[in-house]
Amino acid sequence: MSWREAVRVSGVAFTELALQAVFAFRQGNILPPGRSKNLVAHAHRRVVQSKAVISFVLAVLALGGAWFIHEKVLHPTILAGIPSGLFESAVLTGLLSLDVALLWWTGVQMVPTLISSGVLAVLEPLPLDARVLYRVAAILYLRMFDMPALTVLIVTPAAVALALGPLAGLAVIPGACVAVAYALALSLLTGRFFLRRVQGSRGGGGHAIVRWAYLVLWLIPAFAMFAFITAAPAFFHTLTVFATQGPSTASTLLASAFPFSFALLPAIASGGTGSTAILSPTALWALAASLLVYGALAIWSIVWLAGNVRSLLFIPLQPSVALPGAAVKLRPTGSARAVLMKDLRIASRTPGYAFLILLPILDAAALGLLTYATPTANPVATSLGLGAVTTAALLATFFGPAFFAIEVVAYSYGRSLPLGHRSIVLGKVALIAFMYLAGAALILGFTTLRLFEPLTFGAFILAELPAVVGAAFLELGLLFRWARRRGLAITNLYAGAWFAFIVAIPGLVMAGIPPLLFDLARASGTDLGLGVMAVAALLELAIATPVAFGRGVT
Amino acid sequence: MDAGTTVDDSVPLALDQLSVSYGERPAVRSLTLTVRPGEIYGLLGSNGAGKTSTIKAIVGLVRPAAGTIRVFGVDALGHGSEAKARIGYVPETSMLYEALTPREFLEFVASVRRLDAETATRRLQNYAEAFRLEAELEEPIATLSNGTRQKVLIIAALLHAPPLLVLDEPLNSLDPRSVRIMKEVLLRYVGNAGRGVLFSTHTMEVAEQLCHRVGILDHGVLRGEGTLEALRGRVAAGDASLEEIFLRLTEEDVGVAAAVSSLGDPSI
Repeated sequence: MSWREAVRVSGVAFTELALQAVFAFRQGNILPPGRSKNLVAHAHRRVVQSKAVISFVLAVLALGGAWFIHEKVLHPTILAGIPSGLFESAVLTGLLSLDVALLWWTGVQMVPTLISSGVLAVLEPLPLDARVLYRVAAILYLRMFDMPALTVLIVTPAAVALALGPLAGLAVIPGACVAVAYALALSLLTGRFFLRRVQGSRGGGGHAIVRWAYLVLWLIPAFAMFAFITAAPAFFHTLTVFATQGPSTASTLLASAFPFSFALLPAIASGGTGSTAILSPTALWALAASLLVYGALAIWSIVWLAGNVRSLLFIPLQPSVALPGAAVKLRPTGSARAVLMKDLRIASRTPGYAFLILLPILDAAALGLLTYATPTANPVATSLGLGAVTTAALLATFFGPAFFAIEVVAYSYGRSLPLGHRSIVLGKVALIAFMYLAGAALILGFTTLRLFEPLTFGAFILAELPAVVGAAFLELGLLFRWARRRGLAITNLYAGAWFAFIVAIPGLVMAGIPPLLFDLARASGTDLGLGVMAVAALLELAIATPVAFGRGVT
Repeated sequence: MDAGTTVDDSVPLALDQLSVSYGERPAVRSLTLTVRPGEIYGLLGSNGAGKTSTIKAIVGLVRPAAGTIRVFGVDALGHGSEAKARIGYVPETSMLYEALTPREFLEFVASVRRLDAETATRRLQNYAEAFRLEAELEEPIATLSNGTRQKVLIIAALLHAPPLLVLDEPLNSLDPRSVRIMKEVLLRYVGNAGRGVLFSTHTMEVAEQLCHRVGILDHGVLRGEGTLEALRGRVAAGDASLEEIFLRLTEEDVGVAAAVSSLGDPSI
């Protein structure tokens, strides 16, 4: 009986969650003009659309992985040195890692929204049975992940069955289940961590450093996706070494590591233990033991989740500690700089925004480090470094526009201030340029130590800068026009992030053209390539500036 | 305001034929009112009467369907930033950047208001001391109580010493000490030449104590306006309280006794 009641109550609570996630009324957003009708249906539709996008990405990953396995897509030299079973396990390891990362990332985005929406706190004073409240919390939590999690549980086995046969499809199910269980538990764990250590953190420089350090840890799941893709060639290379050596202590440890252990099961089901070339009888025992441990941990995670999800949702932020007030000083700055500072401060307590800043910088650092994986003075390393700068530009351009949501639509108070749109645009563009320059500076540092071509890299970074600024102008100009017309909040994953993605497309094209021209022209000389690039970037900036500041924006 | 009408830039606030709608639902209908220099004007009304919609239109959060808004002669719809620079606003709900601390939030507000560091710091210290907020200035706003958030909003509204204060239920959630301080602040505030306060409330006692004139809104329409004496004269009740005047003008006195009677004994 209490389950039926819990389902009924969770339906109401989920409606409120969808409404808050999409329209952000609790954050002061006002009713969008002309949208008083069908508001709830609209919010539900938008949440479903967002879940569908994440599920689509997960399905593409699963089908793409199956295609990789079936077509054996790998460099022929590496493929020749790696047994089929080991190759299949490696691809499935990547797939399961990405499943965990993407689901966890979804949780990282949504758990703070669930908490701030306060939907369950409303139910607390009602005379509902405690079991019902636990179940409502659990159902609500699961509904945030339902479509993506089901995609992992259904599409992954189906895709593997298509590539390796039905037995292999069945054999990947435990791995998919464990991946989902871990992702859900990690989302809750990091959500609680966030409440205690980040959102409740006091002001001041020292506390800010601690918050940013925590946020770097917080971003591991999202970064894992990029890191895995980036490190895939090195991973396959390592496996060829393992295959050449045969069973060893290192390969036994690899077979015991999550998610490689689960990824071995379909390969074994399809081709037997010999197909991997690394499994000795000892390794098989280690594999069996590790599977039991990981399985038990997954079950414990679910039990822990069920017992703790409600407590998280009802935990208020840590009450303020009445510390004696020091002599507080205000240091006002110019409006654009104030916008920049405010965004950085908000991001330092808001993982969703911190993610947007840190990911391009961390990715640039990873790519910069990869230049060390190639021989000295190898031209590939130069290309990799320049490619990394371009990636930093593209990522900054891709994620940066979402910052405008803090200002324009979500917080009504900000709109009551005499804050001109020029200041907002300049503040946001400064942030995007900062993200690009910080990432590029890391790459410059790594590549200078390795290749010592600081002038080339420095010139490349500066030549690209006008294109990054131009792309940001273009995106923000389009976003301002759209936001003023629609009045929608883009505060999180479920709140209409699609438009931020759409405006990112012309921005990405704009940021991508100058490096492309450089690549085409550098055959005739690096200096010529840099010159062509700089001219193109400046032209783009000249074209994009009126979009941000011209008529129709304010 | 008709074309050719002289714009008086000494008048803190002038609304003319202001209408606000949400979709097809009208919230404010052809509202005309003026806040005079040195005046606290109380905007009274039941829930949903249109008080907050009026205020949101004044501060630029809602685009009116029709009418004009002038703040010291500045057209607030055509020159929003200029008008906003002259306004200090306290919203009905504590809409704040929750991820900031009060100090960080007020620093942002001071920056946008173009205050110098010395003035901003001095005013913050004065108000923080008065409202006993010093200990919470470095705590994230998300962790603060509603009353403390309200104090932050009040300080943000007063920080640039604006010539017009627009306050939407500003005393909500405040403790009695802070209410007393706020009342004194407002009375002293309008004592300074040329300033004005628009003050929305549905607490009649507060309006009676503070406001020089009141306007009574009902379903988006101004039912009556004037001093307490003038309104008493209008309802022909020489000693009526503001509550009685309000109920009569909005015709909400009809059936009050019957409604109470129908409730019966609450314990049953």
